[in-house]
Amino acid sequence: MKEMAEPICRVLRDGALEGEHAPALMIKDSMHSAFGLDVFNHILCSLASNISAGKSQARGLVLVSLNRHPSFYTDLLKSRGIGVASSNKLIQIVDCYSDPLGWKDRLLDPGCITKLSPKATGTLCKDIRDLDKLLSVILELGNGLVGVGQGKIHFSVAIDLVTVIIRHTSLQSVSRLISNLRSHDQVSSVFWLIHSDLHEMKAIAALEYMSSMVANLEPIGQSPNEQRGHFEKLLWTEQNSNKGKFHVRFKRRNGRVKLMSEEFLVEQGGIKFITVSSGNGMIDQSLLPKVQFNLQLSEKERVDRAKVVLPFEHQGNGKSMQIYDGRRSLTEGHNNLSTPASTTTKIHTEADCGKGEIHYIRDSDDEMPDSDEDPDDDLDI
Amino acid sequence: MTRGIPLPRGMRRSSEGWAIHYGAAGSLKLEICLAYCFLPDMASMKGKTSSFSRNLSGASFVQAPGVKHGPNGVTFVSSGIPDLDKILGGGFPLGSLVMVMEDAEAPHHLLLLRNFMSQGLVHNQPLLYASPVRDPRGFLGTLPSPILSKEDKVPQYDPEQEKGLRIAWQYKKYFGENKQSFENHRENRQEYNNDFDLRKPLERQLLSGNHIDCFSLQDYPNLSDLQECCSIFLAQLERNGGGSKSAGRIAIQSFCAPHCSHSNMEWDMISFIRSLKSMIRPSNAVAVITFSPSLLSPTFSKRWQHLADTLISVRAIPDEDKELAKLLTGYQDMVGLLHVHKVASINTQVPVILEASTFSIKLQKRRTLVLERLNQAPVDGSSGNSYATSASCSGSSKAASLDF
Repeated sequence: MKEMAEPICRVLRDGALEGEHAPALMIKDSMHSAFGLDVFNHILCSLASNISAGKSQARGLVLVSLNRHPSFYTDLLKSRGIGVASSNKLIQIVDCYSDPLGWKDRLLDPGCITKLSPKATGTLCKDIRDLDKLLSVILELGNGLVGVGQGKIHFSVAIDLVTVIIRHTSLQSVSRLISNLRSHDQVSSVFWLIHSDLHEMKAIAALEYMSSMVANLEPIGQSPNEQRGHFEKLLWTEQNSNKGKFHVRFKRRNGRVKLMSEEFLVEQGGIKFITVSSGNGMIDQSLLPKVQFNLQLSEKERVDRAKVVLPFEHQGNGKSMQIYDGRRSLTEGHNNLSTPASTTTKIHTEADCGKGEIHYIRDSDDEMPDSDEDPDDDLDI
Repeated sequence: MTRGIPLPRGMRRSSEGWAIHYGAAGSLKLEICLAYCFLPDMASMKGKTSSFSRNLSGASFVQAPGVKHGPNGVTFVSSGIPDLDKILGGGFPLGSLVMVMEDAEAPHHLLLLRNFMSQGLVHNQPLLYASPVRDPRGFLGTLPSPILSKEDKVPQYDPEQEKGLRIAWQYKKYFGENKQSFENHRENRQEYNNDFDLRKPLERQLLSGNHIDCFSLQDYPNLSDLQECCSIFLAQLERNGGGSKSAGRIAIQSFCAPHCSHSNMEWDMISFIRSLKSMIRPSNAVAVITFSPSLLSPTFSKRWQHLADTLISVRAIPDEDKELAKLLTGYQDMVGLLHVHKVASINTQVPVILEASTFSIKLQKRRTLVLERLNQAPVDGSSGNSYATSASCSGSSKAASLDF
């Protein structure tokens, strides 16, 4: 499977610089384009393969799984052939899926002591509401994974579905968890998935504030509104049933925001990203200044301009335009023009007699009206 | 074409050097003319001047360092960015509340805060700093140190240049040059504001003084404790000095950060800000609070904005954006955009009208922060109404169109 969504995977692989917060990726999806889990799996596999190949800053990965059973992820990695060869364990999974609220304990008889065997690959979390405990479990597992060696050894953290955590706790505690993870020395990178249509704007904004990369899954084309026919809606749904757009915003260190846009295609074997060559047309419209100057003429303006009667050329008196070809003397031209034609109005004739006249003969026919030639240029001093 | 100095009748001078005039017959002529610009005298450049000025010649009056007196009995302290001081008409007035709206995607508000705090420390002004991180002292290590040497200033004004006529494109850029040189003559004056070198950290001894208080917002789940810290700080200000009162600075960073426990107590936060404002007003201090409007509900965000005396917002710009590079000159050096929404007008009913309110944030030589007016290349824009709208081509229209 070709490695796409390159820049994101690269950032997660490279991890955090000394003294900086770890890079954090937030993947947002919604019902219009519900492939967030596939993207999450893709990125998880990419990071895991980088870890097992030793190419990344992190030496291990701690995964908090809330949406799927941990065995799903171990099977996924095994099927992709990641991590089977290496002798070190590279992933630890915190199982928040099986029993996040600790119901099994409560359902059992108090007298009966049954050991609930945790899964081999994970630790069972029985109270998702205690996020401080979750944080310490994550850090403990991470430490256990990478071991304490010379200097700092890093591990990455992935959270399956933050939506579930927010449902059971508050936005403030989730923000605190993520902020603590990011600022921890040993954490190399963090990434998580969220369903953006299940939360208020404020919650999404708060998590965007805490992340350094935001990936958004969107459908191709606008969703048709209610007035559109059934058929168009079907068409649009059909079109988006296995593909969509993938927009990423990177917060760069120099304070600028890098925008990246790709298309993705979901197939049997996984998800594929296709670079769309239409370029960065997503310029923020609000930043574009409204311009004052128009140096081109629109069609209407061109037509209007052609209609403007240039005052010295012809008075609509039916005379053809005289082009001065330099040979005729001026008086001849003058005589020609001063003969009133039959179509001139009386007023015009009177004006001719009483006031001065301007006789304008164009130099050549090619000359555009209103050309900006400086008559002084002809002077030969 | 335009040979004489006076412009032909019907031609309007525009601040950008383009002019449109009506041809004698009523047809529209577009002429490109480079507006001749005579460097104006300094008095008109200062902006608002009033005929009333405080009589400061009293012997008992000692001017505290780092403090400047402005019109209407207002005392200014520098924001740490000379360009911003110029824009705001002197600096931040003592007794006012300055709020900076952050952009969640860029850390530019930290640049403003750093310069603000450094300026205060350079002038030995007491500082109170609150931040949502665990260890706020760490931020002090990133404060920049001032550039003190005179060589870094703009080279001396060359009187020779005045002889010839200069044709300047986007000539407003050159005004600043001229002004600097006049101020160079006053050698013995202590610096009111400094340029800061963002690459060099502030000297240790300035940071170790006992007039710096740091608080972590995470430690104060109850905002009334934070309020008490502020009132203690302000009370101490009164007692300091003797005749000369030192000005104090309060800097609160990212007040509504989501991981702070008070972040969902919106009414408590706004009542804190209101009481801080009332404490600041009679005191000799200025408070700067930064917050990100997207983290608050819209109604509260509006309330906060109205509470501010001076409201500034910073905005990130997209990277490697070819369209923007074509539209704005100097795009490569730009780090972000700064917009001034409101300027404090204490003690006066005269509103402050800015020539331009949107500026680009640039790092000059990668070390000093400068704010520049946006110079846009004239581009083809809306079609149609060219007759009506193009008649007045003043520079301020472009500032208004950049919407935050």
